[in-house]
Amino acid sequence: MKLSKWLTALLAAAGIASAPVAQAQEEVVIGGSIPMTGVFAFAGIGINAGMQDYFKIVNDAGGIKGRKIKYVFEDTAYKPDVSVAAFKKLTGGNKINLYYGDSTAFSRTINPELDRLGTIMMAGASFATEINDPKKFPAQFMAGPDYSEQIGILLRHIAKEKPKAKVAIVYSDSEFGRDPVNEFREMSKKLGLTVAAEIQTAPGSVDVSTEVIKLRRADPDYTIFHGYVLAPIPEFVTQMKKAGSKSHFMGTFWTMDSSTVMKMGEAGDGFMGVMPYRYYYDTSAKAPMLDKIRQMRPEYQSTAYLQGFLTAMLFTESAKRTLEAGKPLDAKNLKAALNSIKNFDTGGLIGVPITIKGNSVPVGRIYRADMKAQKMVPASDWIAVE
Amino acid sequence: MRIGSAKETYAQDGALFDSRTQWALLGVLGLALLVFPFVASQYWLYLACLVAINVASATGLNILTGYTGQVSLGQAAFMGVGAYAVAILEKQLGTPVLLNLLGAGGAAMLVGLVVGIPSLRVKGLYLAIATIAASFILHFVFANWTRVTGGTAGLNVPPAKIFGLALDTEFRLYWLVVPITVLMLAGAANLFRTRIGRAFVAIRDRDISAEVLGIPLLRYKLLSFGLSSFYAGVAGGLWAYFFRSVTPESFPLLMSIFFLAAIIVGGMGSILGGILGAVFMTLIPEVLKLVVGWLPNANEAMVLLAPVRTIVFGVLIVGFLIFEPHGLAEIWRRIRRFFHLWPFRS
Repeated sequence: MKLSKWLTALLAAAGIASAPVAQAQEEVVIGGSIPMTGVFAFAGIGINAGMQDYFKIVNDAGGIKGRKIKYVFEDTAYKPDVSVAAFKKLTGGNKINLYYGDSTAFSRTINPELDRLGTIMMAGASFATEINDPKKFPAQFMAGPDYSEQIGILLRHIAKEKPKAKVAIVYSDSEFGRDPVNEFREMSKKLGLTVAAEIQTAPGSVDVSTEVIKLRRADPDYTIFHGYVLAPIPEFVTQMKKAGSKSHFMGTFWTMDSSTVMKMGEAGDGFMGVMPYRYYYDTSAKAPMLDKIRQMRPEYQSTAYLQGFLTAMLFTESAKRTLEAGKPLDAKNLKAALNSIKNFDTGGLIGVPITIKGNSVPVGRIYRADMKAQKMVPASDWIAVE
Repeated sequence: MRIGSAKETYAQDGALFDSRTQWALLGVLGLALLVFPFVASQYWLYLACLVAINVASATGLNILTGYTGQVSLGQAAFMGVGAYAVAILEKQLGTPVLLNLLGAGGAAMLVGLVVGIPSLRVKGLYLAIATIAASFILHFVFANWTRVTGGTAGLNVPPAKIFGLALDTEFRLYWLVVPITVLMLAGAANLFRTRIGRAFVAIRDRDISAEVLGIPLLRYKLLSFGLSSFYAGVAGGLWAYFFRSVTPESFPLLMSIFFLAAIIVGGMGSILGGILGAVFMTLIPEVLKLVVGWLPNANEAMVLLAPVRTIVFGVLIVGFLIFEPHGLAEIWRRIRRFFHLWPFRS
């Protein structure tokens, strides 16, 4: 008799103790290793703001199927070991469903842990080609085209604008820089373009005069820079233009923030690049989601902000689809829900409806710098790669 | 309070711990290390492993820089050699974990011996530059010897396995990382009770005098480089098992500076200094984050105070250098001295 009383009391206590846990499980928890300090802070701050804003929009509208979103994050200073520490800390204190990672190194390091846990789907700041492989990275995705796809979009635009053009790539000697070089070579051949030069620079190099001479000799019609945020691109562009080169200069996503390109000054006029999202100030077409962003934040928001915002949107959509199907929020179901996205309207963030077959959103558009207007203006239609 | 520690034999004089209190405290520490994994969260276990790896590497650098007086900025690159060695051995040969770690230490040691050769001709800042050069060369090899190192994409490392048990969680890895670090610390502490250790100290204090005293500089300087790199190699091997992904960018020059800063802040030429320095440098940024987390509106505070944290971390390092150039170990010694005679004299 006594024992059963004890057991009842224990069970009741357990019930009380588990009540708040059950309530906490009602939330969809999204974690983030965000670089708020360090070399990548310029992007981290934007990404964080973008994600927070989108979650606020969703929560204000009642959450995902009645479940509120809880967003927790930690600063990583863009160091992989600190990012992993943040992941451990956040997953230890919260039942995380979705996660934002800050670098390729982190995505790769945490991948076995994601596979082991099987409860979290992750996206992040890395557009590394390697991660766009659903077999090796089954619980991850990226909210845009991978670096090879970005180069593919640029080359398609070039082939259309000037068939048989001479193209060159200038890239940093880093994992980031080397990523799409093979694709550049192969895609150029496929599209009938001539590779005039492949020039590698030391990471962080400032004096690039010898590389500029090599590039001048190659005399390409188009020069693509990859693996940099800004330096040494302005140096190349200025010196090439001074030497009378008629080459068109292009960049990839992390170079393409409006404020970054505008730092190139006069020489940057006409600089082109691939952008997976519409710029904050782009009013060339209807974009209700951008209108909402402009209402929330009247001042210019960076491309990193838009990346964070779209990632948050895809996180939310995957969670919504999973819950609608009555399935638990685990990595497999969330990823299946993400891959069920077909012709999805992003509210104008991306100008065309998107379909996510693998780990990337392979759509982008070429924008061109207009230094007089101090803006990036569309230079092509939206280009999708298969 | 400690009253009298009379030393009657040479063995007593050279003992690492000379009182029962010290042994008791050591026992408590050992017990705490044993109990820790059962009570700590995954996050604290992760940090414990990271701290242990950093302690191992910092101790290695302390042998070279703190005890032998040879400034090196190549520690991270030597760790890289160890990490790649483990990755390759684990993937290609599937040899046992402990053998792989020894292999990592051995490989790094060989490289360290080569890098140490200039130390016979150059000293101080010049030697630091020579070691930086070596670390650049090693990075170039990591990035370009694609067939072996996997190039810029690097290598993924399968989890360490002991008796068929995969060490794929922090809890399991703790039992590999911490005991090895403790063993390495014991080795380093004992090293300085031997002729070799004393020769290192003699070289640091005045190399010409050391040579006059009959210490062959070539042998001992290279030995110091070799031992230091061995420590770095094993630490790198543990790092590889811990992070399971090794790329050329995993071991930047900044990491070498981190270790140098750790032993300076902790106290050069002191085993305890290496430990305290590595703990300080690894944990303070995390502790500062915890403090910010306690503030009201933690999320907003984290965004606003992120740069402040970095500044506070920097100020703390500078503060230690100004107010206690002998490092954290000296502060610890002062605290101990205070309690030796407490409460009779304070």
